[in-house]
Amino acid sequence: MGIKVVCASVIGKSNNPLYIRCFDSTEEALKFHYIVHSALDVVEEKSTAKKGASLDLYLGMLYPTEDYRVYGYTTNSKIKFIIVVQEDGDSHDQAIKNFFRKFHVLYANTVANPFYTPDDLITSRKFNEELEKQVKTV
Amino acid sequence: MAQKGARPYDRIGEQVFAKVDKINAELFTLTYGSIVTQLVKDYEDLGEVNTQLEKMGYNIGVRLIEEFLARSNVGRCADFTETAEVVAKVGFKMFLGITANVTDWDAEKKEFSLVLDDNPLTEFVELPESYNKLWYANILCGVIRGALEMVQMKVEATYVKCVLHGHDVSEIRVLLKEILTDEIPASMRDE
Repeated sequence: MGIKVVCASVIGKSNNPLYIRCFDSTEEALKFHYIVHSALDVVEEKSTAKKGASLDLYLGMLYPTEDYRVYGYTTNSKIKFIIVVQEDGDSHDQAIKNFFRKFHVLYANTVANPFYTPDDLITSRKFNEELEKQVKTV
Repeated sequence: MAQKGARPYDRIGEQVFAKVDKINAELFTLTYGSIVTQLVKDYEDLGEVNTQLEKMGYNIGVRLIEEFLARSNVGRCADFTETAEVVAKVGFKMFLGITANVTDWDAEKKEFSLVLDDNPLTEFVELPESYNKLWYANILCGVIRGALEMVQMKVEATYVKCVLHGHDVSEIRVLLKEILTDEIPASMRDE
């Protein structure tokens, strides 16, 4: 599997970042923040483009940069998950979809915590740890 | 743990559990979670929240015991040790779907620990840092106290360990204060 997730982020309803985590220590985190932010425009485009037919939650590849590819996934509650991956060779769409599904479940579990108010920054330790595990086994 | 005597409480617990109505676990967890957060907002002092949860549990316990006795058909317990087993294996199984373990008896057999490996009430919950004093599932202590009081045992139940505080298991310490003899329970007397 030639995929490496270098950055995972959760964006809220009004495009406010709820969680951004970079897994690549060699790169500046700011670069990923920028990539994720610019990806939001593409997400908007994709979600409004299809007239009527509600699409899959999985948005597919948002755009490629020199070393990375950005993938997006949206939910009906307007929460978006954006990941930046580094992959060699052809795209492993299925693996990415699986990752997003698990990411979504992880997010749902965090929201279930009565001490977490939706649209807050995600500071849950469990979320962090689980996400790390997921990223390792992608 | 070797079962004392010939009463397989595990099996009884499972049988009763199979017969009772079930509720969606997430709904239950979220409901309890919102009760606790509301109490925290209302009372602000965490010690007070613990007390309120215990009181709520007590009110649940005095009513729950009737349901328990009606459904489980467990006869009289010979002594407190048997009571502990029944609570852990049949009681907890019937209402929460989990079995607790009874450990750490003291010399006089008046105090024991109920160890819970997992607890549906605390699923998905993560306590923020400043909430160290909060015993999240303290309602269970009240339930135990209320239920046992209706069968003539006055006990004190307190949380000593909780998974939300970083321990690997949750542990409730139950102490038998006295066996009651035909007294009207305090709650009904004061009304």
